[in-house]
Amino acid sequence: MKIKKDLWVLTLIAILAGFFIIRVLEAQNPQLGISSMLSPQALDQYFEGRSLGKIEEYLKVSKELEQERADLLEEIRALGEIISRHEKEAAEKIEEGEQIREELEISRMIAGMLDVEGPGVEIILDDRKRDTILESDLGMMGYYIVHDSDLLEVVNELRAAGAEAVAINGVRIIGSSRISCGGPTINVGKEQRFVPPFVIHAVGDPDALASYFQREDSIYQTLMFWGLRFEIEKKDLVQIPRYIGDIEYKHAKPIGEGE
Amino acid sequence: MKKSYAGQLAISLVSLILGLMLAAQFKNVQKVGGNVSRQRTQELTEHIKKLESDNESLSNQIKEYEDIIKSYENVSKDETLVNELAKSKSLAGLLPMEGPGVVVTVDNLYINSWDGGHQTVQNVHYDDLLRLVNELNAAGAEAIAINNERVIPTTEIRNAGDYIVINTNRHSVPFEIKAIGNSENLKAALNLLGGVVDNLSQILNIKVKTESNISIPAYEGTINYRYAEPVQDKKS
Repeated sequence: MKIKKDLWVLTLIAILAGFFIIRVLEAQNPQLGISSMLSPQALDQYFEGRSLGKIEEYLKVSKELEQERADLLEEIRALGEIISRHEKEAAEKIEEGEQIREELEISRMIAGMLDVEGPGVEIILDDRKRDTILESDLGMMGYYIVHDSDLLEVVNELRAAGAEAVAINGVRIIGSSRISCGGPTINVGKEQRFVPPFVIHAVGDPDALASYFQREDSIYQTLMFWGLRFEIEKKDLVQIPRYIGDIEYKHAKPIGEGE
Repeated sequence: MKKSYAGQLAISLVSLILGLMLAAQFKNVQKVGGNVSRQRTQELTEHIKKLESDNESLSNQIKEYEDIIKSYENVSKDETLVNELAKSKSLAGLLPMEGPGVVVTVDNLYINSWDGGHQTVQNVHYDDLLRLVNELNAAGAEAIAINNERVIPTTEIRNAGDYIVINTNRHSVPFEIKAIGNSENLKAALNLLGGVVDNLSQILNIKVKTESNISIPAYEGTINYRYAEPVQDKKS
């Protein structure tokens, strides 16, 4: 009986010893990074990241916001209908009213204030796959990721190829859209942050749009050289939403107002 | 007695290995589980931020629409229609605009060569202009024109031989970019330490000056939409 009890104690001590050997080893080689995970901050982070409660809470919030977004869009659609009814009535009353209405439609189209659809292309742009990068190449990482300037070039080339409307990840690109770097994210337009992959839609002649990227000086060649993911697919129907956001003119005013 | 020692030794050894494995396992589980869920939370917070800003913009849109409807109902129908047209035209870049802002001139940088002539360091490249325009947009420019080509949603800035094509018209140096907006902000954004102008001024001749009144012409080309069509309301 006594021997058996001793054996249990011994087993426990041995297990603990094994555990501590690891910890001592790491303490000598901090790059192993195991013991650092047991520091107080790391433990906090660990539990915060894992806490399912938090994720559930976020999911709930995002679901509510999505519902709110759908409601707002529905309200906008309804108000838009009322407005277009008023426009029709107003146009009937005045001379050249129909012409004004047409002009209104085309300006809204140019300004990116209408949802549009038509043939076009879908481009998927993503960082190079991590497992295709050699360990010795890690210093070249900058070449393997999608930069804000790459997106800017792609949009510019689509425009040069005659794209009539462009959107990145569902955000309509207009004349005053900026595409800028925000650390790991890329900001498109106002307050819209995206991480790769980027999905770019453009309406226009699908052949013209796709073949533009075959040009020798196209950004496509550069990105393919570095092994990034760059897929272009011609589509019969691409849908591009209107620009959402407020454009406020605080400084600029039309010339010749009041004529 | 001897047999018992051997047994104890064996058990100690096995337990030691077990302990090592436990430690290793603990580490792995922690690493994988922790990273995945942290990434998930990060994704979710980004998503929530985007939704919040979307909803705010949408609410503003609704207010604007309600104002328009009020104006149609309570003020005058034709006046409202004409106002609406003016507003859409200015959003589309179809109206000339004026206001304070900056004027950026971009030219090739010439250096005196040994024989007394001039030598170009580097020609102005289309993406220099593209970057400047993007930076001005990021700084809140309300209207931009390059060599009087109004920048609208379809404006391309692309090289074609020795020229740079903007709004399908050819242009060459010197380039003059005019932008209306908060002139101090625009200037500061361009002149940021290590920013666009800092980088480009090593190879190009760039000058940024603020002006109290700049006029920017309307877009003069015609756009024929041959592919894009407004999405019709499914219900009507």
